[in-house]
Amino acid sequence: MPDLSHFITAQLIVSAVICIVVVHVILIGVAYSIYLERKVSAYIQDRIGPNRVGFDFGLPALRFLRGMVGLGQPLADGLKFFLKEDYTPAHVDKVLFTLAPALIVIPALMGFIIIPWGGTWNVPEFTIPVLNVHVAGGPVQVAGAVVNVGVLYLLAVASLGVYGVTLGGWASNNKFSFLGGLRSTAQMLAYEIPLGLSLLAVLLVVGSLIPADLVGYQVRNGWLILSQPIAAILFFISILAEANRAPFDNAEAEQELVGGYHTEYSSMRFALFFMGEYAHMITSSAFFALVFLGGYHLPLVPWLSPESTTLLAVLAKCLVYFGKVGLLVCFMMVIRWTLPRMRFDQVMMMAWQAVIPLALIVVIVSSVVVYLNLGPRFNLPWGESIPLLVANAAITVGFLIMYPFLPNYEVNRRVPMYGSRFNPVPGERVSTRPMDATALADRPEAAVAGAR
Amino acid sequence: MLATYLPVLLILLMTITFATANLVITRLLGPSRAGGSVKSMTYESGMNPVGTARKRFNVRFYLIAVVFLVFDVEIIFLYPWATTFANLEPGSQDSAIWLGRIMFFLATTVVAYLYGWRKGVFKFD
Repeated sequence: MPDLSHFITAQLIVSAVICIVVVHVILIGVAYSIYLERKVSAYIQDRIGPNRVGFDFGLPALRFLRGMVGLGQPLADGLKFFLKEDYTPAHVDKVLFTLAPALIVIPALMGFIIIPWGGTWNVPEFTIPVLNVHVAGGPVQVAGAVVNVGVLYLLAVASLGVYGVTLGGWASNNKFSFLGGLRSTAQMLAYEIPLGLSLLAVLLVVGSLIPADLVGYQVRNGWLILSQPIAAILFFISILAEANRAPFDNAEAEQELVGGYHTEYSSMRFALFFMGEYAHMITSSAFFALVFLGGYHLPLVPWLSPESTTLLAVLAKCLVYFGKVGLLVCFMMVIRWTLPRMRFDQVMMMAWQAVIPLALIVVIVSSVVVYLNLGPRFNLPWGESIPLLVANAAITVGFLIMYPFLPNYEVNRRVPMYGSRFNPVPGERVSTRPMDATALADRPEAAVAGAR
Repeated sequence: MLATYLPVLLILLMTITFATANLVITRLLGPSRAGGSVKSMTYESGMNPVGTARKRFNVRFYLIAVVFLVFDVEIIFLYPWATTFANLEPGSQDSAIWLGRIMFFLATTVVAYLYGWRKGVFKFD
């Protein structure tokens, strides 16, 4: 029996447990965020949404589990996906076609392990019964993996998701899929830059890539959404675009592209694309909460600080974190069912001509603010954030002053059309007079007033 | 040190297992009925597909990819700079030199960006 006590540390055990638990929590969260999305869309559109499927499975003995406001719906949907035909059309590239759904769900589920769900936990020392290994106690991080390049890891893994989209679009050998894949790839590439840049504006202030340090900074100096609001907005826009969420869901614009890159997919392969999208949403919400909303921290609640390391505090922190993630996911859903989809050229022009230059300006201004270091002059608890806030306000005011001088393409050109009442071809005379005899009988005055 | 990356390996194995299991189980459980030539046809809104999807596409996507590479590589360079710069003593000579260097580096990118803008890389219509 080799001596495992050097290898098995309390951190490793906690990390492994967190990994296994959180994967399942995320998967259940994915299933129920699809349910939530349907409910949110139903309430926004004044419908009821799923409300029939309970957990009775049609058995009379489980009658009391019927209904349950439709909570059984995700389970039923999942089972249905398994029982559908897994069809591979004749013209597809079979290897890539099978690989693409896996390639989209794997990165989406891998990212969240660096998220510090519960801060630090002071583990008591204990002995593993069967192996008889003594594990020394001490403070451990309640996170899947404690790596010192945590933020970089999350960015890297999240950007791997583009492979699944590209390959799914390409392998389907379908023109709609291909266009959807192309659009989605271009969009994800374009929005990865503002994602990285707005994160950079934050890292310049914090000076560390370790997720726990990001939370620690925000506990001491206030949430970063207060000191870097422009970066927060750009970051949120970018994660919406990265997850292919509305108003940036051009990849699956139904009216133009059928289903986009997953047009040819059926059964669980299609469901994996779907799960990838929702897992991506949850991971990016957790990322946003980590970077801008102080992670597990809530102001004015003393036991949600890094100093409290009891098990109870850790659980409370996890709950607070999940609550923040849930609220952000809800916010994304409300955005999806409120805003209309942007046109693809508008999305791309917004990325390259508005979001990226703005993010660059924020980075440059924040680096100057960090260099000047005016924070300590304000003798206030969250004084560090005041110069950054002033800088952000200055950027906004400068933008508003510069706005009339910025280049402005007319993206919504009106194309003259023959026979159009609103935009006739020059020289064409369009009569708006009702020609119908019944209409004229109804409104005799229209025959006079309608002439132009 | 490397042991801190063990959970990454664990999660990689778990997600690969999850994805593979899903793909295999749905293949085993789902029906597989014989399909005719219509069933195996590419779905293009009910019309018979014309030609193949392996077509030439707009060169703009290529330009976007190239410009993305420029910016992404630059951001990679900026990350180590940002983490170190924030830990330098603010206002010191070191700090000023670091700031000046990265401003020059950013200025070169801004020039490239403006060139791309003038050339119409970012214009979609």
